[in-house]
Formats: sequence, C-alpha cells, structure tokens
Amino acid sequence: MIVLGSNSDISQAFVEKVLKEGQRFPLVYLFTSNVDKTMKLARHIEAKYDQKCEIVEFDLTKNNNFDAIAHVESDLLFCASGFLGKNSEEGLYDLNNTIRIVEINYSKLIHLINFFAQKMEVKGKGTIIALSSVAGERGRQSNFIYGSAKAGFTAYLSGLRNYLYHKKVHVMTVIPGFMDTEMTADIQTPKPLTAQPAQAANIIYKAYKKKRNIVYVTFVWWGIMMIIRNIPEFIFKKLKM
Amino acid sequence: MRINKSKNIANWGLYPSIRTNEYEPQSIEEFKEAIASTNKLIARGNGRCYGDASLQNDVVSTRRWNKFIEFDRERGYIEVEAGVLLSDILEVSVPAGYFITVTPGTKFITVGGAIASDVHGKNHHVDGCFSEHVVYFDLMIENGEVLRCSRDMNADLFWSTIGGMGLTGVILSARFLLTKIETAYIRNEAIQAKNLDEIFQLFEESESWTYTVAWLDCLQKGEALGKSIMLRGEHATLDEVPEKIKKNPLKIKKKPKLNIPFFFPNFVLNPWSIKIFNWLYFNKQVKKHVQNFVDYDQFFYPLDMVHNWNRIYGKSGFIQYQFVIPKENGLEGMREILRTIAESGNGSFLVVLKLFGENNPKAYNSFPKPGYTLALDFKVNKGLKKLIENLDLIVEAFGGRIYRTKDAMSKPSLTDYLKNTDSSKFESLQNERINR
Ligand SMILES: Cc1cc2nc3c(=O)[nH]c(=O)nc-3n(C[C@H](O)[C@H](O)[C@H](O)COP(=O)(O)OP(=O)(O)OC[C@H]3O[C@@H](n4cnc5c(N)ncnc54)[C@H](O)[C@@H]3O)c2cc1C
Repeated sequence: MIVLGSNSDISQAFVEKVLKEGQRFPLVYLFTSNVDKTMKLARHIEAKYDQKCEIVEFDLTKNNNFDAIAHVESDLLFCASGFLGKNSEEGLYDLNNTIRIVEINYSKLIHLINFFAQKMEVKGKGTIIALSSVAGERGRQSNFIYGSAKAGFTAYLSGLRNYLYHKKVHVMTVIPGFMDTEMTADIQTPKPLTAQPAQAANIIYKAYKKKRNIVYVTFVWWGIMMIIRNIPEFIFKKLKM
Repeated sequence: MRINKSKNIANWGLYPSIRTNEYEPQSIEEFKEAIASTNKLIARGNGRCYGDASLQNDVVSTRRWNKFIEFDRERGYIEVEAGVLLSDILEVSVPAGYFITVTPGTKFITVGGAIASDVHGKNHHVDGCFSEHVVYFDLMIENGEVLRCSRDMNADLFWSTIGGMGLTGVILSARFLLTKIETAYIRNEAIQAKNLDEIFQLFEESESWTYTVAWLDCLQKGEALGKSIMLRGEHATLDEVPEKIKKNPLKIKKKPKLNIPFFFPNFVLNPWSIKIFNWLYFNKQVKKHVQNFVDYDQFFYPLDMVHNWNRIYGKSGFIQYQFVIPKENGLEGMREILRTIAESGNGSFLVVLKLFGENNPKAYNSFPKPGYTLALDFKVNKGLKKLIENLDLIVEAFGGRIYRTKDAMSKPSLTDYLKNTDSSKFESLQNERINR
C-alpha cells in the first residue's frame, strides 16, 4: 500500500481500517514531508498489525527526484495529501501561499500520482483512492484558491478514472466535508456536519470494496453541494460564503 | 493542538457534570504546552471512572495519544501510549494468543486510566492489580519533564502514581506483560447461591479458580438476603474446547452491538422495574450449576455489549458505590449493608461481589486490600445522599474504605488513603472535594 500524506488523520484511520480488516502488504509506504512525525505511525502499524512499513521522505513543494522512489509499487494507493493554506482574504495576493496551495493540491501532486498510475497501468490492476474536497465543487470567496486547485484535482481524477478504466485500474474520488482532524483543529465546525476520521475511514473502505467512483464522506454533504452548485450565479456572487 | 473550550463533560455515572476546557495534545510538546498554559489540570482517559476523579476546569485528554509502540509477540510484552484502550489491545493481542492479565469489567478504558486507578479484575486474589504486570511507564511531571518510572527507576514516583488518580502527572506510555492464552474462550461455571452464607462459602471454596465474581439481587430480604449467582472461570485450553471452537480458537464471532440512543425518562428505573429485572436475571438460569464455554467478551465485558447503557439512569445520572471491608468482618458487615439498602428501597441493577486477595503493600495508593468488595449503582435522587451517609458509617465501622475511581459523594475519611507526592498543578475536583 502506498500512502501519500501519511500524517493526515484520515490516512491513518484508513490504513488502520484496511489492516484491521485483515489485508496485509509486502510493505506499506508512508510518504511524508515530516519524517519524525511519521515514525510514530510506522512504529504503531508495525507493533499493532505486525505490518512492515517504509517511510519515504517526499516534499511536494521541492524538486522531486523520482529515481529515489523507483522501487515503490503497490496495488493500492491512498492519497490524502493536501494543504489548506491561507484563505483568500489573507492569502489571495501572497504568491508563496498561492504556489504552495497549487503545488501540493494539484500540480506536483498529479505528477506523483501519474508516476504510480503508470505502474498500475503496466500491471493492469490496482486502485487509486484520492481525497479531493467540497471546496472544489464551486468557487467561494472564503477559500477559492484551495478550491480551484481541488476543482482541478477532481477533474483530473475523473479523467484518470475514465482513462484507467480501460486498463483495469480503478480510481475513486473521495469528497470529504468537514472533518474532525488536525487540519481543522482551529476552526469551529458544526457538529452534525463533521465526521470523525474513523467514521470517514469506514465509509471510504466500504466504497473501496464496492469500487465506487465518487464518495461523499457524509451523505448530507452530497445534498448541501447539490444546492450550492445549483444556486444561479447572479445570486451566488452576492452571497458571503 | 485542539482545545475544546467550555465543553460539557461527565464521567460514566453522568454525575456530576461540569464545563471544562479540554486539551487534546498529539505530541510531547503539546502536552507540555497544555500543562504550562493552565493553573491546574487533571489527566483524563476515556471517562470510565464514575464520579469526579478525572474532572477539572481544565483537563488534558489522552484521546489522541493512542499509538502502539511495541508488541513483542514472542514474549508477550506490549508498550503503548497512555490513551490506547484495552479494547484496542485485545483486538490484536487475542489473535496473537495473549490476554490482558488484569482487566476491569469494561474494556473501554485507557492504559493511563488503568494505572492511575490501579484497576483490579475478577482475578485479584491470583494476579493482583494492573500494576503488578507493569514494567515501566513514562510520566510527564509538572515542569514538562518526562521521567521513566519503574521499580528501580524513580521508584517513589512509580509507586505514588500507581493508583495515584492522576495527581502526580500525566502518564504518557507504559510497558506491561500480557498473559498467554490458547483460546479466546473461558471455561465458565455459574452457580446459584440462596443467600450470603452460601455465596461466602462458595468464594472460600473457589480460591483456586483464576476468575471469580458474584452478581447479587439486592432487593432480597431476610433468609434470601444475598441471593446471588457466582461466576468462576479459567482461560480454556485448546484440549478442552469443543470441536467447533478448535477450528479457530483465537477468534470470536462479531456480535451486533446494542445502543441506548437517548436518556431514559425518570420513571423507568424504580424499585419495581429493578425487581423485574433481577427476577429475570436470576431466573434465566434454571439449573443450580451450569458449566459451559463462553467467549471472553461475554465473560469479562457483558456490560460493554450495550453501548451507552449509563443513559438508562436518565439525565440526573447515577453513582457507583464500591467499598472493601476486611475479611474477618465480611459477612456481618455485608449483611448490615445489604439490609440497609433493601430497607431504603433504593434498588440497584448491578451489584457485584468479589473477594480480594492479598494486596501489594508497596502500591500504597491502590484501593484493594484483603476482604470483600461490593459495587452497586444507585440512581441520583433526593434520598441518595442520606443513604450514602448511612452506608459510609457502616463501611467505616467495619474498617473499610471506598474506591476512589467510583467515588462521587462519600465521606472524605473513607477515600483519603491516597498519599501522593503533592503537586499543585495536577488536581482533580474529586481531590479538592476530599481535601476541602
Ligand atoms: C462498566 C464499568 C465497569 C468497571 N469495572 C471495574 C472493575 O471491575 N475494576 C476496576 O478496578 N475498575 C472498574 N471500573 C472503573 C474503571 O476501570 C476505572 O475508572 C478506570 O480508571 C477508567 O479509565 P479511563 O481511561 O476511562 O480513565 P478516566 O475515567 O478518564 O480517569 C480515571 C482516573 O485516571 C486518571 N488518569 C486517566 N488517564 C491518565 C493518564 N494518562 N495519566 C495520569 N492519570 C490518568 C484520571 O485523572 C482519573 O483520576 C469500571 C468502570 C465501568 C464503567
């Protein structure tokens, strides 16, 4: 199993879920930009599930050396890499912020996924599960740089799914709403709309087993986004959301 | 670090309920920060103590500090962070052929909570408390320093933290020894006892059994006072179990979980409903003596099958009253206590009797000492304070004491056996109430 964004709470919960269900791998590759923090996770997985891991240092914002990961391959890739960055008001005109958001959520990320997609294509099997965001469903004033990168990412996944379908590789897009994770630790999110990582992992796991294409982590979000997507633009632009 | 401001919390008895700021550190640095940024605080595991032991205006939760560190599958040593639940451990240790040597009646407690309360199980007379099997733990003290504590290293702190109710610092992780098992099943015997004399007799006779416990019907009076069922058990060996189990001896079937989705209204629990419940419970077993094999969940954690069962007591909550009285006074003391309860009409659904063995004198903050221990739950209502006062007087007269981790309103002199190295930083509402 390959995990991109290993320190995300959802990644951790998903890896645990898969192992709890009894699946084992020659190695679990934990991609991370924070090796120290990931060591804890690696140790946990080894101790709890008797599953060997390899930590792969990989910072999406740097110039990446793909030779160093040439040996990495698996039939299952889980991607939770993401970076919220500063929202539009504070970060809109900050170039570094914009670059980071676009690189981590889109441009450099799809390069990395393509790298593994190609390996799966050659083998003619595999599953790619990637987290996008409700923010990518329609640009809103509060976080549209992040949202636009996620929109691009969602489109990429949809196209990749179409392309790889013919090569027997499955691509699943996960659209989480509010999550009770470190990323949102400082934001007060409404409780009924907020999912716990373990809850999300269960939903994602079920969908993975059923080979679903697009999954909303909490069903209410499907409804909410349905409404948000359909508000006419001349009204939408006047809203503050 | 996530800080849940002004959150409503209560422990398992739902009484008392308070507002708190809950810190949820995920790294050593964040633990330090939590300690440094508060005047006083107390560690909180899964809130499975009953009263006010892990309550304070600021609490530091170990909920997100829940990783395994090492599991030596050859020798049975396990090392985990303090927020790991016993249920998390069992999930992987049982398939690997190991059981938690000392476990309380619920598996939803943390390892930190197990050490801080030095929990006991049905095997106290054989294996002692949880701490007997602990090799070392790491403790963060007031100044943010992390100290490894064992019988040789920082021994003072080791012993004062065991049963120390979080008052010495925050336990960050612990290493302890598991017990080898061949199957996930228990060879179980259930025996009916007509009254106190009979059940005491049964305890004496069952000393060689690893696990013993009795469930009492507390509404019985006169001749039937102490009517009960004794359960005793041993980890079943591979030879013993039926063929069906032999195929997959370390695996148990998944059972559907029940859930109590909301608080029961106040009138549900009354002496009549308790009578009916007890009648059903004690008559479901027709034979006087039953022998069978049950999986470990059924044997150790029957209450865990119903999630949120504490809600049947309604919003006002309940308390759990657990005391121990020395063996020589056991029969007489127990009789007086049961009589007082039966007369008060304050029934209890859940009444558990157990005979403690020798205690470890070094673990001076631990609750158990040789003698009989009874645990009962009572719904919080107007008459309860008075009943507890009366019971406290009896427990005191018979030289007994109250289990801190379940205490919410007992007489301070019955719970002041704790001799902690005092820290002004780590302080629970319970400790403040007791030392007021
Ligand atoms: C259904 C049920 C059955 C039970 N049966 C038994 C039984 O048979 N035997 C028995 O002994 N107990 C029993 N208990 C009580 C329970 O085992 C203890 O209260 C246990 O300590 C709860 O652990 P917790 O993780 O929920 O901790 P909490 O309830 O959150 O805290 C309990 C105490 O531990 C301290 N603490 C928690 N974590 C730490 C830490 N990391 N560092 C320092 N201090 C900490 C708290 O400050 C507090 O004083 C039972 C409880 C229930 C609900």
